[in-house]
Amino acid sequence: MIHQYRMGGLNIVLDTCSGSIHLVDDETYELISLFEAVPRGEAVAQIAEQFSLPAQEVEEIYDALLSLKEAGKLFTPDRFAPMAGTLKAKTGGVVKALCLHVAHSCNLNCSYCFASQGKYHGERALMSFEVGKQSLEFLIAHSGSRKNLEVDFFGGEPLMNFGVVKELVAYARRREQETGKRFRFTLTTNGMLIDDEVIDFANREMHNVVLSLDGRKDVHDRFRVDYAGKGSWERIVPKFQKLVAARGNKSYYMRGTFTHQNPDFLKDIQTMLDLGFTELSMEPVVCAPGDPMALTEADLPIVLQQYEDLAALMLQRRREGRPFTFYHYMIDLKGGPCIYKRISGCGSGTEYLAVTPWGDLYPCHQFVGEERFRLGDIWNGVTNTAVQSEFAACNVYARPECADCWAKLYCAGGCAANAYHFSGKIQGIYPYGCELFKKRMECAIYLEAAKAVEGK
Amino acid sequence: MEHIKTLETRDLCKSAENGGCGECQTSCQSACKTSCGIANQQCENSEE
Repeated sequence: MIHQYRMGGLNIVLDTCSGSIHLVDDETYELISLFEAVPRGEAVAQIAEQFSLPAQEVEEIYDALLSLKEAGKLFTPDRFAPMAGTLKAKTGGVVKALCLHVAHSCNLNCSYCFASQGKYHGERALMSFEVGKQSLEFLIAHSGSRKNLEVDFFGGEPLMNFGVVKELVAYARRREQETGKRFRFTLTTNGMLIDDEVIDFANREMHNVVLSLDGRKDVHDRFRVDYAGKGSWERIVPKFQKLVAARGNKSYYMRGTFTHQNPDFLKDIQTMLDLGFTELSMEPVVCAPGDPMALTEADLPIVLQQYEDLAALMLQRRREGRPFTFYHYMIDLKGGPCIYKRISGCGSGTEYLAVTPWGDLYPCHQFVGEERFRLGDIWNGVTNTAVQSEFAACNVYARPECADCWAKLYCAGGCAANAYHFSGKIQGIYPYGCELFKKRMECAIYLEAAKAVEGK
Repeated sequence: MEHIKTLETRDLCKSAENGGCGECQTSCQSACKTSCGIANQQCENSEE
């Protein structure tokens, strides 16, 4: 399976199953589109006529394509399907990442919050140190030979329980010495409670911080308001700037959400850049279809064009020596994930679990509060093995809709929660999300291709 | 330009032989949290 597209003056050809990427000229691009559809003689004659080329030259291109095919770099057959279950089972029974819901409470009242203002449709609660500690022990005990363990302090707003966060990190650092494991912590925060102590702590202990900012002030303040209805932009932006300035080279992301209200989200990215931030992420809103904030079919062409314009802006800024990062355009063509990861996806419900303030386990943060998906708890482990089996069986080859998709090995079948909320099945798909994802991959690969052409 | 320029990419078929160590980051644990993909993950296999 191949995928051909044009962007920014480049003709790009992806070979799905080998991961190969070719940049070709116009005549080769058209010849590739005929390659498997018509006999050789017919294809060569058609291209020779269309581009006024000697037949011999087109024959040579054809031979080059045949060589690529024989080398397993073009039209590579898909041999992964029978291996998919085995590859995913390779890491079965191992947990390596937890999303710790240290606070089911929030000091903002954002109407678009998928977690219903941090309460996840339940009671407000803070995680105790004891529950957090047992969560870390659960992770260590179930991590097998895995050295790198990930813990995200999440909520709600995790800084509403900052004392416990600090205690848990100190505890984990002691346990690292005793177990040889290495914890990588992430903090996802709305910024309201950032102060000098938080900055110092986060920049010392957090592998990554995710800072929620929607971009333009009016866009941000439309949804990200306190309980008095007052926008938070002016209060948080200086705190984020101070934190990032002190962070040095450590990872962070400014993370925004775009909705039906701002499908022109590139303006929000521009605002983030103007504020001095360079590590950026903008995500489509997650909400029920029909919700006034939900992205519509009419928004789709706007959003797709925004993604292309974003790629053009990134290229321009890179040429000017002022590069920035967009999370979804990060792609490492040489050092990216192996086929196991590309088939099995995010690991929700198996490698990755969410823990509520009460110590209940869920497949991921987006399933918290949906009782059917409760997997067990941190004291007794996973007891709802029927639901866990559904997640274990989740891979890109388990989704019939993905079979003919060129992007399947970049996406691994996508987000189980999005699929569930759209289709009622975790092994379904969310077609709108697929369209956005495919465009993002085209842009990401285009940026890498441009780098190769420009010799950088 | 030359007719075909092939970029240097990881061979996915070959990665089936030694892949699957599982040390790489979980996909939804960094900046996305709502729109998961795996393309931007890094391989952390120290054996390869």
